[in-house]
Amino acid sequence: MTSTVKARVDDHDHDHRHDHRPRRSRNRWLWLTIGTVGVAGILALRAFTGELDSLGDPGLVTDLLTLATSVIIESLPFVVLGIALSIVVQAWLPDDLLMRYLPQQPTLRRAAISLFGIALPVCECGNVPLARGLVLKGFTVPESMTFLLAAPIINPITIITTHQAFGFDDGILVGRILGGLAIANIVGWLFSLHPQPQALLTGRFASQCAAGSHGSAPSRSEKSLDIFMRESSVLMPAVFIGSLIAGAIQVAVPRDVLVSLGSNPLWSILAMMLLAFVISVCSSVDAFFILPFASTFMPGSIVTFLVFGPIIDIKMLAIMRTTFTARVLAQLSLVVGLMSAFIGLVINYVA
Amino acid sequence: MWPSLQRWWGVILILTAVSATVWLAASQQLVLYIHPRYVVFTVVMAVIALVLGVLSVAVRPSTDDEATPSRGWSRIAGGAALVVSGLIALSLVIVPPTTLSSATASQRDIVGSTVGSDSQNVDEVASADAELLASFTVVDWSSLLRQTSDPSFYANKTANVVGFITASEDDPNDMFYLSRFTVTCCAVDAQPTGVAVYAPDWQNEFEVDAWVEITGSFATNPSSRSELPLALIPTTMITVERPSEPYLY
Repeated sequence: MTSTVKARVDDHDHDHRHDHRPRRSRNRWLWLTIGTVGVAGILALRAFTGELDSLGDPGLVTDLLTLATSVIIESLPFVVLGIALSIVVQAWLPDDLLMRYLPQQPTLRRAAISLFGIALPVCECGNVPLARGLVLKGFTVPESMTFLLAAPIINPITIITTHQAFGFDDGILVGRILGGLAIANIVGWLFSLHPQPQALLTGRFASQCAAGSHGSAPSRSEKSLDIFMRESSVLMPAVFIGSLIAGAIQVAVPRDVLVSLGSNPLWSILAMMLLAFVISVCSSVDAFFILPFASTFMPGSIVTFLVFGPIIDIKMLAIMRTTFTARVLAQLSLVVGLMSAFIGLVINYVA
Repeated sequence: MWPSLQRWWGVILILTAVSATVWLAASQQLVLYIHPRYVVFTVVMAVIALVLGVLSVAVRPSTDDEATPSRGWSRIAGGAALVVSGLIALSLVIVPPTTLSSATASQRDIVGSTVGSDSQNVDEVASADAELLASFTVVDWSSLLRQTSDPSFYANKTANVVGFITASEDDPNDMFYLSRFTVTCCAVDAQPTGVAVYAPDWQNEFEVDAWVEITGSFATNPSSRSELPLALIPTTMITVERPSEPYLY
């Protein structure tokens, strides 16, 4: 026993890191205390202010804050789940596990990747950190984009909630799943035609990819916490600001303007896309949201909402902007918009 | 200072947001923002984020990121994002939690709302006893009102309903809507429903957004300025505390 330990220490010819250990671990207790006290301080402040009377009269300003808070609280658990899965993929899974079984032929490969989401119960906000993790793991940009677009629609929670809301009526569930897969694969194919896929990424993320994992190799748990810090620094401001904008637009645009467009095959599709864009709810719950509108709108328009909303909305654009350039997002919105409108039109006229 | 603030900002934001979530859950006010079915999931994920956040403060993982110095516009945009997200985080901690108000109710078309339009059926309710009727919410009554406006159907049926006051545009002096929001996922999708109440000069005693409990029955609407055929005529009307679950599901 002793000899094994000794042998391992002898192996270590670069023990400069060990010199800092005692100081570092003492500091860890100090910083653990600081972190705990900080959280306790926030909770105490919250408990104190929670007892106060509401600020001023209720009105659109307080409603704006209520709506923004609601979007944040609703999406936060999914963001955390996405970051956690991204940590698992980046720090804990063997590098080649996902790669090993994928077909080599690009189209088949993307088709396989678009089915990944079936095993991952993450809606769109959580998929961005996961898709970023996949790029860092060696996926090409179009491949991770295929994953990003398909996963929120075919994830198990979304399928279950959509089935609970609509059953198999009017082909809404089937239209959503097939439509989502088709869009993801076609968009992946379109972007794979780009000569330099790395140019699709923002400078900050591209340099993070280029940096890779060389340099000092921290322990897995330390790497996990590093990923947690990085991803939350990138995503949280986007979630917060996206929620505020989503809340502001909801307060500004009267709902009945959209609903009054409901019965025309073409206008109802455009109204649904606008509603999906503005409302920014997660894909795992949007079926319940749209259910009360089902009597007003045509089934194809509902499918458009359910296909377009998970991919493009205000909050998602803010979050995806952390990873892709503005130009890519504009192209993506256009292509996805046209395709989901087309799917909706076909269902409206056929069904 | 700047790069390390940027590096830690996400952890600060996420810790603030999940602390606010945990407090809302502990004080049972999470339902002001999300549907009860998501409460457990939300709390579990919040606790995970809380642990990861505090651990990353404790461990302060080393990084091999050379922070690229940003210049010009991107620096300004980064700074603005930092400030705006910080203000939102601050609002999560200092603004007292509240429900959506009548301002949003009237903006979301309370009259044309079709929420829960099939929650009650005229034929089944025709012979309902008083106990069942007392359990009806404004959604149930408005579903019935949409199906029949025959005054004889409502005769001898006493309604006992709680809701908040949204002003009527047609006859602001003598009428208002007793309204509730119905939530399917979170407050974002809240849809207002309401029943028209005829109470002359109600503004002398009550304010818009006040929660009231009304006992009364539906009868031909006496208001000459409103086109609604029926209205709730209160026999008693008292101010009440906001219910602990202000939204209907």
